[in-house]
Amino acid sequence: MNLGTRKVLDRSFTSLGIGSIVVMALALLVVITPIVYNGLGAVFFQGTIEHRKLLQDEFHRGDKAQLEREIEESGRYRMEAYRMLGEFEAELEGMDPVKARQYRMQLGPVKTALQGLLGPIPGEEPGILTRFRYGQTRWEKAEEKLHELLYESKWDYSDPNVMAKEYFVRRAESFEGTSLLPLFSYVEQNAEKMLLPRFTAYWGFLFDKSVDAHIFGGIWPEIQGTFFLAIGAMLFAFPLGVVAAIYFTEYAKDNLFTSMLRSANSTLAGVPSIVFGLFGLAFFINTLKVSESKSVLAGALTLAIMILPTIIRAAEEAILSVPKTYKEASLGLGSTKWNTIVTVILPAALPGIITGGVISLGRAAGETAPIIFTAAVSVGSAIGLADVLSSPTPALSWNIYNLASEHEMASEIRHVQYGMVLALVSIVLLLNLSAVLLRARITKKLKG
Amino acid sequence: MQTTVEEKETSMQTPAKTATRDIYLPSERKSVAGGGTPHVVAKDFSIFYGDFEAVKKVNADILSKYVTAIIGPSGCGKSTFLRAINRMNDLIPSCHTTGTLRFDGEDIYGKLTDEVLLRKKIGMVFQKPNPFPKSIFDNIAYGPRLHGMTDKKHLMEIVEKSLRKAALWDEVSDRLDKNALGLSGGQQQRLCVARTLAVEPEILLLDEPTSALDPKATAKIEDLIQELRGSYTIMIVTHNMQQASRVSDYTMFFYEGTLVEHATTPQLFTNPKDRMTEDYITGRFS
Amino acid sequence: MSGEVQKESSRSQAFVVSESRRKMQKVARTAGETVLLLIASFVAIVVLFIFYFVAVDAVPYFQLRGFTEFFTSTSWYPAGEPGEFGALAIIYGTGMVTLGSALLAVPMGIAAAVCLSDILPFSVRQYAKPVIEMLAAIPSVAFGFFALVILAPLLQTSGGPMLMWVWWILAAPFLLLSVIVGSDLLTTKIEDPLRRKRYATMLQALFGLLALLVLYVVGSRLNAMEILTGTNALNVSIILSFMALPTIVSVAEDSLQSVGRELREGSYALGATRAETLVKTVIPAASSGILAAVILGIMRSLGETMVVWMASGNSSHIPEPWYNYLEAVRTLTATIAGDMGEADQVTGSARYHVLFAMGLLLLVISFISNLVSERIVVRQRKILSGQ
Repeated sequence: MNLGTRKVLDRSFTSLGIGSIVVMALALLVVITPIVYNGLGAVFFQGTIEHRKLLQDEFHRGDKAQLEREIEESGRYRMEAYRMLGEFEAELEGMDPVKARQYRMQLGPVKTALQGLLGPIPGEEPGILTRFRYGQTRWEKAEEKLHELLYESKWDYSDPNVMAKEYFVRRAESFEGTSLLPLFSYVEQNAEKMLLPRFTAYWGFLFDKSVDAHIFGGIWPEIQGTFFLAIGAMLFAFPLGVVAAIYFTEYAKDNLFTSMLRSANSTLAGVPSIVFGLFGLAFFINTLKVSESKSVLAGALTLAIMILPTIIRAAEEAILSVPKTYKEASLGLGSTKWNTIVTVILPAALPGIITGGVISLGRAAGETAPIIFTAAVSVGSAIGLADVLSSPTPALSWNIYNLASEHEMASEIRHVQYGMVLALVSIVLLLNLSAVLLRARITKKLKG
Repeated sequence: MQTTVEEKETSMQTPAKTATRDIYLPSERKSVAGGGTPHVVAKDFSIFYGDFEAVKKVNADILSKYVTAIIGPSGCGKSTFLRAINRMNDLIPSCHTTGTLRFDGEDIYGKLTDEVLLRKKIGMVFQKPNPFPKSIFDNIAYGPRLHGMTDKKHLMEIVEKSLRKAALWDEVSDRLDKNALGLSGGQQQRLCVARTLAVEPEILLLDEPTSALDPKATAKIEDLIQELRGSYTIMIVTHNMQQASRVSDYTMFFYEGTLVEHATTPQLFTNPKDRMTEDYITGRFS
Repeated sequence: MSGEVQKESSRSQAFVVSESRRKMQKVARTAGETVLLLIASFVAIVVLFIFYFVAVDAVPYFQLRGFTEFFTSTSWYPAGEPGEFGALAIIYGTGMVTLGSALLAVPMGIAAAVCLSDILPFSVRQYAKPVIEMLAAIPSVAFGFFALVILAPLLQTSGGPMLMWVWWILAAPFLLLSVIVGSDLLTTKIEDPLRRKRYATMLQALFGLLALLVLYVVGSRLNAMEILTGTNALNVSIILSFMALPTIVSVAEDSLQSVGRELREGSYALGATRAETLVKTVIPAASSGILAAVILGIMRSLGETMVVWMASGNSSHIPEPWYNYLEAVRTLTATIAGDMGEADQVTGSARYHVLFAMGLLLLVISFISNLVSERIVVRQRKILSGQ
C-alpha cells in the first residue's frame, strides 16, 4: 500500500474513534434534552383557571378572593357559550325527529369536547371521578381540546396500498344553518377569556399527592417511595459490603475458597435484574414471608442484593488504594489489626467507599425490574415510615413505566410522565455528581 | 550540627579520611547512667522469606540506652533484621524465623508473646514519613488513645511532652488541630518520632529515617537522636556511614544477611577487624 | 534532657502474657475472622440461593410440561385453556435484539475505547469520561420511556427517511475508503509509478461510480420503506446498544491500558502509523480483555428488562422474514415482567412456573458468560505479566 493510502486509513481510524465518542455524547444529549425540556413543563406551564380551582379545592392553596373574581369573570364568557348550547337543544326539540337524531349524534362529541375544555356543563351531572369535574388545567392541552371541539378527525382509507391517513373536517360544517353555528367561532375567539391562562410554577408537582391517578396533582408518593427503597437497600447493603471488602482486602488468604468468593461476587454482578425480582418474590415473599405480599422491606432487600457487588468492589478498590505506610505506622504503635482498620484504613478509604455507596444508591433508585414483583404498586398514596415493613409503595421508576404503558389516559398525561422521568434522572445524576464532588472534597481534606 | 551538614556535602571525595574525621572519640561520648545492659539479644537468629534466608544466624547483644547503627549495602538484610525486632515482618505471609531473639530476656517470637503489646514497647519510625491524614494532635494521641487513654487533659500533656521531646513543639504548638500532612517532610518525620514516643516505648527502631529528607531536616533528626540517647535504646538502620559515625555508639555491619562485625562505632570505623568491613567503610564497594 | 530519665520499673515483661490470655486472644481472633468470613461469604450464599430458589420454582414447569414445547414451539398462549408455553419465538426475539444491539455497540464501543486510551489527549478525555459515566447512570426506565414516547413515533412516521440518512452518513465514508484502498491494493503490482497512478485513478472513478450507485439504490429503498410500528426490534436494539456501550468502553479501555507502552513504541519505531500500531499490535494484545468487554456488554443487553418491555412491541412471533428488525418482538425479560402480574395469584400453575423457567435460562446464560469472561481476563493478566 502506498503511504498516502496508509495515512488516509490512519485518519479514518482516528475519526472512527472520535466519531463513536461523539455519537455517544449526541445520544446522551438526544435522550436528556427532551426529558429536561418536557419534564420542566410539568412544573412550569401556562396554567388555566381550572388549575387554580383544583389547587383551591384539593390542596386549599391560592388566593381565594381573587379566584372567585376570576371565576366570575370567566363565567360571563362561559355563560354565553352555554346559552348557545341550550338554545340549540331547544331548537332540536322542535325539529324533524329524524334530523334531530342526526344532529344529536353529532352534538355528543361537541359536548364531550366542550366538557373536556371547560369542565362540566351546568345542569348536567358530572362523573364521579375528579377528571370529569374540571376542564383543562394546562393551556397547551386546552388548545388541543379546542382543536378537538372545532375539528372532527377522519381517516382516509381510499388507497388500500397505502397506510390510512388522518384528515380533519370542521365540525361547524355539520351544523350549517342551525343556532349552534356561532358557538364554534365564539369559543375559538374567547377560549383564552374562558380559561384565563397565565404562567404558573407548580412546585407542588414534586410535593403533592396525586389526584385521580396522576391526571392531576403531584408525584410525592413516588419520590418518597423511591427514597424509601433506595435508602432501605443501602441500610442492608452498605455495612455488609464494606465488611466483606475488609475481609477480601485485609484477611482473605490467597486460596481457592477466596477465588470462589470473588467469582460469586462477579456472578452476582452479572445476574439480570429481572431475575433478582424473581428471587425476591420466591425467597423474601413466598419463602421467608418477610411480608404478606409486596412491601418496601422485600423490595429494599432485593435491591440490596443487587447493589451489593458494586459496593464491595468500590470499597475494595478504596481500601487497596490506602498507602501501606499508614498500616505500618499504626501497627508499629502497638495497634491491633482490627483497630488499625477501623481507625486508620477505613477513614483514609472513606472517600472511595462513600463514592461507591452513593453511586449504588443512585442505581437502587433507578432500577425497576427487581421491584416489580417485590415492592411497587402503580397507584397509591405516600406511606408512613411505620408502614415500610408491610406496605408496598409507588416508586418513580415503576410508575414511569406504568403511566407510559398501562395508564388508560397515557397519552393525555405525558407531562406527568416527563416530570417523573426528569425527577428520577435528576435524582440519579445528582447522586452521581455529589459522589464525585464528595470524593474531591474529602480527598482534599485528607491531603491537608 | 549545621557544620556537619556542610561537611557532609563537601566531603564526598575521600570517604576514608572523612570517616575518621567525623568520628566522635570515645572520650567525647559520655557513658549513659543505668545503660549498657543487654536489651535485645539475638542467638542464632535467622529470618526466611519462604526458602530464602534473608538474615543468617545473627548473634548480638544490643545494649540499652545506647544508639546502635546498622549499616551494610542494600539488600543485606539490615532492614529485615530491624523489622524483626518489633515483628513488623509478620505482615509478610511467607516470613518466618529460627533461633531466638530476646527482649528483656523474653522471647520475641515466643508462643506467649503478644505482638501488639510488644510493639508498644518497641516503637518504630519508617523510611518515609507516614503521618496519618489526621490533625497533628490526633496523630500524637493515636497511640495513647489506643491503649485506653481518653482524658483530654492528660492526652494534651502527653502530646506536649512528646512534641517537646521530638523538638517539634515550638514549631507546631499553635496549629495542633491542623492536618499533619501539611507539615514539611522533616517536620513530618519528627512528628512520627513524637508519635512513637507518646506510647512510651523502651526501644526506638529507626529504619533509614532520613533517606527521604533534605540535609537540613536530616541534621535536625540527627540532633534529635542525640537528645534521645540515654533515654531510649535506639537502633538506626542507615546507608549513610557518616550518619552512623555521627550518631551511634555501636555499629553493626551486615553483608548478605550475615552480621560481619559488631563493635563500638569508633572501633569499627577506625580499626575494623574484618576485611569486608574495611572495604565497605572505605567505599570499595557499596 | 536528663530530666526525662525513664523509670527503672520498665523491666517488666509487659509484652508476654499468660497462656490462658493468649488462648483467649487466639479464640477471639479466630471468632472475629470467622464472623468476617461469614459476612464475606454472604454473597456466595446469595448466589447459591438465587440459583436454588429460581430453580425450585422452574423445575415444576418442566415436570408438568417437559422440555420439548418450551424450546421448540412458537405458540405462547399462557392464558389459554389449556395454556400453551412455546417460548421459541421469545428466545428468538431475545437473541435478535441482543444481536442487534451488539452489532451496533461492539464496533462503536471498541472504537471509542481505543480512542479514549490512545488517541484523545488527556484534556479531552476528562470530558469524554463523564459522558460515558452519565450514559451508564441513566436509569433503564428512562431509556425505555425515551424509546416508547420519542423514538417509536419518530420511527413510525419518518423511519424510512431517517434510515436513509443514517445509511448515507455511515456508508458514504466507508465506501469512499473502500474505493481508495481497493484501487490502491489492485494496482500495487504495477511497477511503473506513472502507469500505476493512471490505473489507480481509473479504478477509483469506476469504483466510485459503483459505490454511488449502491448508495443511491439502497438509500432510496430505505427511504420508501414503511414502518408499521415504531415499537420494534430496531428501536430496542438502538437503545440497548447505548446502554451496553459504557460497559464495553470501560472494560475494553482498561484492557487496552494494561498493554504496556513498550509494545506501542516498538511498533512505532518500525514505522507503523498509529492505526497500524493499534490494529496490528495493541488490539491483538488486548484482544481477550476486549472479548470480555464484549461479553459483559452483551450480557447487559440480554438482561435488560424495561426498555424491551416498553418498546419491543411484546409480540411473540418470529419476524417475517427472519431478519426483519422492523417487526415487533418479545423477549424473555419482558415476558417475565409482563406475565407475572397475571400469574402470581395462581401460584403453582404452569403459567407461574414457566416464568421461573425463563429466569433460570437467563441465569444460566449469564452465569456461563460471566465465568467465561472472568477466565479470559485472568488469562490475559497472566499473559501480560509474563507467567
